[in-house]
Amino acid sequence: MRSFSTTHAVSWVVLGALFAGLALHRDQAEAGLGEPAQITGYVLFALFVALASFNARKRLSMVPLGRARLWAVVHTFGGVFALALYWLHTQSLWPTGTYEQLLAGLFYLVTLTGILGWLMQRLFPARLTQTGLEIIYERIPHELARVREDAEAIVMDCTRELQSDTLARHYFESLAWFFRRPRFILSHLFGGQHGVHWIHQQRLTVARYLSQRETEYLDALTELGYAKLRLDLHYVLQSAMKKWLLVHVPLSVALLGIALWHLVLVHVYAL
Amino acid sequence: MMARPQRWDAPFGQDMTDDDVEKLLRQYPISLIDKDKFPQHTPLEGILRNDTRIVRYQAGDIVVRSGDYGNSAFLVLDGTLRVVIAPELPRDLLGRQDVARKGFFEALTQLWTNRRVPEVRDVRRYNRSAMRAGGDSSRSVVFLQDIPAVLDRHQTATLGGGALFGELAALGRVPRTATVFAESEARLLEIRWQGLREIRRYDESFRKRIDELYRENALKVALRETPEFGGLDETDLQEVANSVLFETHGSFDWYISYQRMRGAGKEGAAHEPAIARQGDYPDGVLMVRAGFARLSIALGNGDRTVTYLGAGDHFAMSELYDSWVEGKPAPLRASLTALGYVDVVRVSAPILEKYVFPRLAERPRSPVDASAARALTDDALLEWAVSERFINGTQAMLIDLDRCVRCDDCVRACASTHGGNPRFVRHGRTFDHWMIANACMHCADPVCMIGCPTGAIHRTQQGGMVVINDDTCIGCGTCASSCPYQNIRLVEIRDEAGNVLLDRDTQAPINKATKCDLCAANPGGPACVRACPHDALRRVGFHDDDVFRKRVS
Repeated sequence: MRSFSTTHAVSWVVLGALFAGLALHRDQAEAGLGEPAQITGYVLFALFVALASFNARKRLSMVPLGRARLWAVVHTFGGVFALALYWLHTQSLWPTGTYEQLLAGLFYLVTLTGILGWLMQRLFPARLTQTGLEIIYERIPHELARVREDAEAIVMDCTRELQSDTLARHYFESLAWFFRRPRFILSHLFGGQHGVHWIHQQRLTVARYLSQRETEYLDALTELGYAKLRLDLHYVLQSAMKKWLLVHVPLSVALLGIALWHLVLVHVYAL
Repeated sequence: MMARPQRWDAPFGQDMTDDDVEKLLRQYPISLIDKDKFPQHTPLEGILRNDTRIVRYQAGDIVVRSGDYGNSAFLVLDGTLRVVIAPELPRDLLGRQDVARKGFFEALTQLWTNRRVPEVRDVRRYNRSAMRAGGDSSRSVVFLQDIPAVLDRHQTATLGGGALFGELAALGRVPRTATVFAESEARLLEIRWQGLREIRRYDESFRKRIDELYRENALKVALRETPEFGGLDETDLQEVANSVLFETHGSFDWYISYQRMRGAGKEGAAHEPAIARQGDYPDGVLMVRAGFARLSIALGNGDRTVTYLGAGDHFAMSELYDSWVEGKPAPLRASLTALGYVDVVRVSAPILEKYVFPRLAERPRSPVDASAARALTDDALLEWAVSERFINGTQAMLIDLDRCVRCDDCVRACASTHGGNPRFVRHGRTFDHWMIANACMHCADPVCMIGCPTGAIHRTQQGGMVVINDDTCIGCGTCASSCPYQNIRLVEIRDEAGNVLLDRDTQAPINKATKCDLCAANPGGPACVRACPHDALRRVGFHDDDVFRKRVS
């Protein structure tokens, strides 16, 4: 378990105090017939810019801009704060105007993808470690190809040595599908055991037709199957941890643009 | 079928002839060595023929540099050399490079100055380095262009025919303490450490000479730094120094034997050279001077690592103290084995009883005392780190795989601070949820520095980091081959147009050795550590046992 650090405690206190101050200001502005949404709107927009700057920091790693760990904590807490501030700003869960709905939709999507990303980053690394395998993402396709070649070599050796095509037939009817590319994506994503069950079932299905020597080849094939499952798991989880950003970041940029335009419109027509 | 490989299958010098050996045997001071003392399987003639080579230097050539690690000593056959006493030669003259740390904005310019292709170099600067190529890459040397100016500005001493130098660094695996250069054309006999060790073993006068040199130059300083002998006055300290014995265990080029041992699946204390065995009775305390040794106790069918000892640590003190108190011999409670090359001094029990034990307020503690209270799992990470020789690292890249999201932000940060090519691979050996990535660990015993022909790989003056001077690196790959952890890589370099630079003669690509330099030139420390958003990556030294204890939980 990760410890509850001082940074976390300070973040909660600062953000809690800021939110309380803004809520108080809003009440006072409302009571004084002012524009209660003006200050919360500006703070919210500034927060969007600050949250987006985390991505820029990653590209500026050659200069000392503070540890990315601190930025990540601020980004996470800032995201939670943005949600609270958004509700304080709009005073509703879902606005009525079309433009505002677009803005709200984008905001909720960015928040949702952010939460999903945060959850994945918390849950997936330990699952990868528990496979006992460590592999760089870009090498996974090569490893999958190697496993497939090994599997085909086993089947060929079996056929050649024993002059029996039972295992080969089963391979090309069923197992080839599995070895072709990553399978059981959703099962891997959600921690299921579908792949293990499938391999076990395939083994049971064909084993009754095999001789003692053929069973030894089948055992080797099954071991390769389990090795591939570990590779698949790495592929799926590492893909998820990389690709969620391809949704989160573009949506954030779109949100920033729409929010900026919202700010302009408010200044032109409402103030 | 093949003939079993023998020690002298690969002589140090390919050109040594019987005639050369005959001449050497008549030349001072080799003529003083009693060759009858040498056994038949290791005759003096064989040592001269196979463990030495004659090297010629031109005026100005630097023979050894202060701060270098070397595995050879040199005997002046003819010519004159100069040893620089004070002040030391400027680092740029030695082929070193003082890394200037960039300012914030200079560092920021890398954002747009990094090329699309990696490893681009300004080739004009290579022409400025004072390099002289030899017949092969291992004989390229740095030379001084203006000897009179050096002699004017620096106090030097002359080394003439018959002078021996570099033996302490070669035998003790410590950095060379002075720079020596050729004043005129000179012929030197380079003796590799194996030959030096054999001569020291079989020739008493040679051994006495080496030991006396060590006693005079380094031993008393080393003893004074220990808590046990630190309080002694000059006379007592001299008596202690006179009484100690010097020992070396293991192989100097341990990284080669270690890799072979790993390849054969032989790991653990049972396969390492024994220095002292559990159950034996000690006759003195062993103080580690250089290198590492494993302290282990027998457990079941194997050995449990209790800890490892490095420079300054001692072994068997508590057992000798118990013997002194109880008046009967106490056996060793642990074994000591060499993790690579270990250089120790043995201080005898009577000396300890006279000068050390009476002053001790309490019984000296042994690491074995605490081990009984620890579960096997508590020490599992230590066992692994010792087995993998990661204990050598002072700045190892430790990644917590339970936190690492494999985003490669660390790799990108490294690339962006090193001209577009990362200086490490986010891959390496793992234990539980820890990984030591393939990044230079800036070792306590930097074997990569042994044999660099130009001194391009060296320690920085500030911080002691191991860095490579790109200007003087000749891409021979000696350092990369020596690194036991595969943390140095040779890269093909390009000119500013992005073309791979080719050797004028062979048309082969020009290589340079690259490795992690802890972002020495960039402000803010290692970019990889700063770039990790999950606090998964840190640089650690394994010299502190707490590294293991704190991180297991």
